[in-house]
Amino acid sequence: MSSAESSGDGGKWLDAHYDPVAGIYSFSSCLDLADLSGDGENRLVVGDLGSGSSGMKLKVYRGTALMSESTLLDLPAGLVAFFMDLHEPRIPAVAVASGPCIYVYKNLRPYFKFTLPGLEINTLEQDVWQQVREGQIDPLTLKEMLESIRKKADVPLSVRSLNFLSLELHEMDEFVELHKHQPIKRQTVITCIGTLKKNMADEDGVSCLVIGTESGEVFILDPEAFIILSKMSLPAVPTIMDVTGQFDVEFRITAVCRNGNIYILRRESDKPKYCIELSSHAVGLVRVGKNVVVGCTDETLQGFTQKGKKLWKTVLAAPITTMASMDLPTRGFQAVLVGLSNCEVQLYRDKNLLSTIKTPDMVTSICFGRYGREDGTLIVTTKGGGLMVKILKRTATFDDRDSAPGPPLAQSVRLNVPKKTKLYVDQTLRERESGLAMHRAFQMDLSRLRLAAAKAYVKALESSLTPMSASLAEPLKMNAVVQGLGPSFKLTLNVQNTAACRPIMNLAISFLYDESLYRMRNPYMRIPLLVPGLIYPVETFVECTSDKGISDIIKVFVLHEGRSSPLLTAHINMPVSEGLTLN
Amino acid sequence: MEVTMDPLFLAWSYFRRRKLQQCSDICTKILQDNPYDQAAWSLKTRALTEMVYIDEIEVDQEGIAEMMLDESSIAQVARPGTSLRLPGTCHGGGPTPAVRPMTQSGRPITGFVRPSTQSGRPGTMEQAIKTPRTASTARPVTASSGRFIRLGTASMLTNPEGPFINLSRLNLAKYSQKPNLSRTLFEYIFHHENDVKNALDLAAQATEHAQFKDWWWKVQLGKCYYRLGLYREAEKQFRSALNHQEMVDTYLYLAKVYQRMDQPITALSLFKQGLDHFPGEVTLLTGIARIHEEMNNISSATEYYKDVLKQDNTHVEAIACIGSNHFYTDQPEIALRFYRRLLQMGVYNCQLYNNLGLCCFYAQQYDMTLSSFERALALVANDEEQADVWYNIGHVAVGIGDLTLAYQCFKLTLAFNNDHAEAYNNLAVLELRKGHIEQSKAFLQTAASLAPHMYEPHFNLSILSEKLGDLQSSYSAAQKSEDAFPEHVDTQQLLKQLRQHFAVL
Repeated sequence: MSSAESSGDGGKWLDAHYDPVAGIYSFSSCLDLADLSGDGENRLVVGDLGSGSSGMKLKVYRGTALMSESTLLDLPAGLVAFFMDLHEPRIPAVAVASGPCIYVYKNLRPYFKFTLPGLEINTLEQDVWQQVREGQIDPLTLKEMLESIRKKADVPLSVRSLNFLSLELHEMDEFVELHKHQPIKRQTVITCIGTLKKNMADEDGVSCLVIGTESGEVFILDPEAFIILSKMSLPAVPTIMDVTGQFDVEFRITAVCRNGNIYILRRESDKPKYCIELSSHAVGLVRVGKNVVVGCTDETLQGFTQKGKKLWKTVLAAPITTMASMDLPTRGFQAVLVGLSNCEVQLYRDKNLLSTIKTPDMVTSICFGRYGREDGTLIVTTKGGGLMVKILKRTATFDDRDSAPGPPLAQSVRLNVPKKTKLYVDQTLRERESGLAMHRAFQMDLSRLRLAAAKAYVKALESSLTPMSASLAEPLKMNAVVQGLGPSFKLTLNVQNTAACRPIMNLAISFLYDESLYRMRNPYMRIPLLVPGLIYPVETFVECTSDKGISDIIKVFVLHEGRSSPLLTAHINMPVSEGLTLN
Repeated sequence: MEVTMDPLFLAWSYFRRRKLQQCSDICTKILQDNPYDQAAWSLKTRALTEMVYIDEIEVDQEGIAEMMLDESSIAQVARPGTSLRLPGTCHGGGPTPAVRPMTQSGRPITGFVRPSTQSGRPGTMEQAIKTPRTASTARPVTASSGRFIRLGTASMLTNPEGPFINLSRLNLAKYSQKPNLSRTLFEYIFHHENDVKNALDLAAQATEHAQFKDWWWKVQLGKCYYRLGLYREAEKQFRSALNHQEMVDTYLYLAKVYQRMDQPITALSLFKQGLDHFPGEVTLLTGIARIHEEMNNISSATEYYKDVLKQDNTHVEAIACIGSNHFYTDQPEIALRFYRRLLQMGVYNCQLYNNLGLCCFYAQQYDMTLSSFERALALVANDEEQADVWYNIGHVAVGIGDLTLAYQCFKLTLAFNNDHAEAYNNLAVLELRKGHIEQSKAFLQTAASLAPHMYEPHFNLSILSEKLGDLQSSYSAAQKSEDAFPEHVDTQQLLKQLRQHFAVL
């Protein structure tokens, strides 16, 4: 039990399983729990994104073991388990949304593939490709024409045309040959998927699929015939969706869109009924009862009513990575699980933090529900591909701690201010007594020092000793870095033009050094035109020819063509060469 | 007739008076007459050794190879407070970097420059091979090659006719049987010729001859192993030597081994064990204080330095360290006392006057401030010291509001030391006050690249970029500042503000 205590959740969870190398890379939308074989034991279904370009898999876990694994063709955008018919035994199907298609698996075997209807195609584009097929125009003209269409037309180009436009000249012919005989299609992509009960609110009632697409539309599909029952449109692309209600009675779709707004759709209209404008982008959306909890990128959690009225807002400790709902109908408990990037999962009921679970890695997806035969199971996958299963203890209770603001903790911390010593008091006495004399002495010293500083400064300016030039015409700055152990050193001079907008030209660098000690690869270098603000590293190699273990100064001059005095000088204290002793 | 003194006696007398060259010359003459004079031979080896002898305990600098390719440390990610590698982990009530400047390795600047204080462990290879500012030479490649050879091979230049003893022709087995010769020979090989392998051979044979009962030979074996990087073997030899004979030196060597193996806690307990046998031993107390200091536990380091002063009230290192600690904990008047004590003891150099000037200024003894700096300028030995003095005068000038003088001083600092990152940073602030934004930005960038361990340039650059509306560079600079000084509240606030800015639609 010590592990549960140490994880800081007050011993409310049992650590059932943790596999840090399970290799699951997934998001909350691609995780679901369902009784896939009808034996009363729930399985975990995961749409694994693999490496992002390959290795996409549909994985099914039973207990702690991987039960089955099948390859997906494309990246999964969402995964839901749903009942598609009334047959006995009641076994749910799994729908995986990827690209423009929905793949439906039944008994873990591919069962049906539904493809979204194509979008309207630009007629001009079609004509152009028609001409290509007939051999009337060559790829170059095709490119020009497509580009003009892209600029003018209201209907966007198809993916094929866009691909073509991005090609290099020599690849065009091949591409055209390969594709010209197929008709043009314009397809949209599924961004999110959800389920909606058809006419019964039972747990195992038949559900419709609800799909949000890149074209800003929401489709509701019939589960048996896979025909589009209803089509609604949104002003922007939906990214996260929450569906509640029944299709035949009344339903409500809450969709978070890419423009930072949340739209609420209802049964009657095909346009959104309410709109919530957020102050920053949403990361997650969870419905609790009749309210909606939204996690935003500005590290806040906000509660809204279903009509879009803001209820509360709390600031979190770290950015949110994912969110999920925690629903225990047997206990009448509903809360929100929030995964944070500081390796914590926090449990919120309304704005009150109930409990915190520390995880060894950053959480990327959370799923809570019935797993195996255990009702309150929390499933978490981590950024490093780990899978963690925790079981809620039956004795666990969560009590609302209202985090009422009191005085901040720092207020009671005493500052460590050192005491004023007796010595200090004595000195202040002295200061009080002989203040006049001290002031005079100080002022006299100050004038002397000013003179000395001015003299040294003028001397430095006259010999251009400073690493930045004082002249207004060529405001330059240089610093030198020596790297290496010897006998070969790399000398890097970082030259920078600090003028506001004027470039500097006709500069050169030369070096002054003891030729018996050092050898320079190129002791004279021309500097290219210096654009203001950028740092130009000028590199050269210096070789130490002496093995006596002595070092010297190398002087660097930045010169202007046609002028004898240098603009600026730098003295480089060379390190002692160590290399020769290392036979 | 002049009565001539016995040449061997004369040589011996010269040796005792540390006129080593004359001693060696006389011995050479004796040996020319009689090559088998063992006394002369032994004396000459001692004289030659003394010429190049350096204190083996103090001289220690980790080379690049030791640091980057270290295999002897046990934990790569050590727990806080158990390692010398993670400087920021243990805060023993010391001041923050906002008050006390940091070295490149992230430790507070100490009051006394020791071979190990200037190095620390760099985070990257690039940092390691870059010439550090405080040291005028780059880091030695490995400790066993660089530094020791440079110190040890002075004899190669002085002996044009070749080495005194030809090691390759030496019958080590024969000499190891003669205890009266073998010790001087060993020291000659180890210190003068710097040939650790032969020295190890000799020591191994000699300790065998002494039936493994002679602690001196064990210590020498340990020294050889230490030089060769075989720390576990060295530890074994030193431990065994301690069993025969408790010696302060042996404790110090053994502690050095533990420090090299990154086990400061073991080293500390060893020192305390040594203090049980040698109560009040100054070198042991100093060793403890140094370890505390390296682990950022400044307050206990100061306690130990005070213990050192109770035993030896002229200990320069302890006085300097306590003084600098008082200075950085806002008690410059006490620091002034300590530095004046150093002055009374006869330490008379630029750095001391530089510190005195600054202490006087902050302790409000204005009449002495500038005269101290003037003296410091007069005592300057090299350009870097001069740069430091001008930098401090620049601080005083900022303090009295004379920005022209401050500007000149910081520029002079840079003229004498092109890599003075602090001066670049301060100059940037002055330029910004004048409204020269581009210049200011350039200086801050330079300061940040010269000293990535300082948080000030990053933070200033972040503020500047934020004012200019370049939020992205502001954010990245603020992140660097946070890396350098995680507790800095202003950085945190800026970061928070920027994050809010990014999150808002």
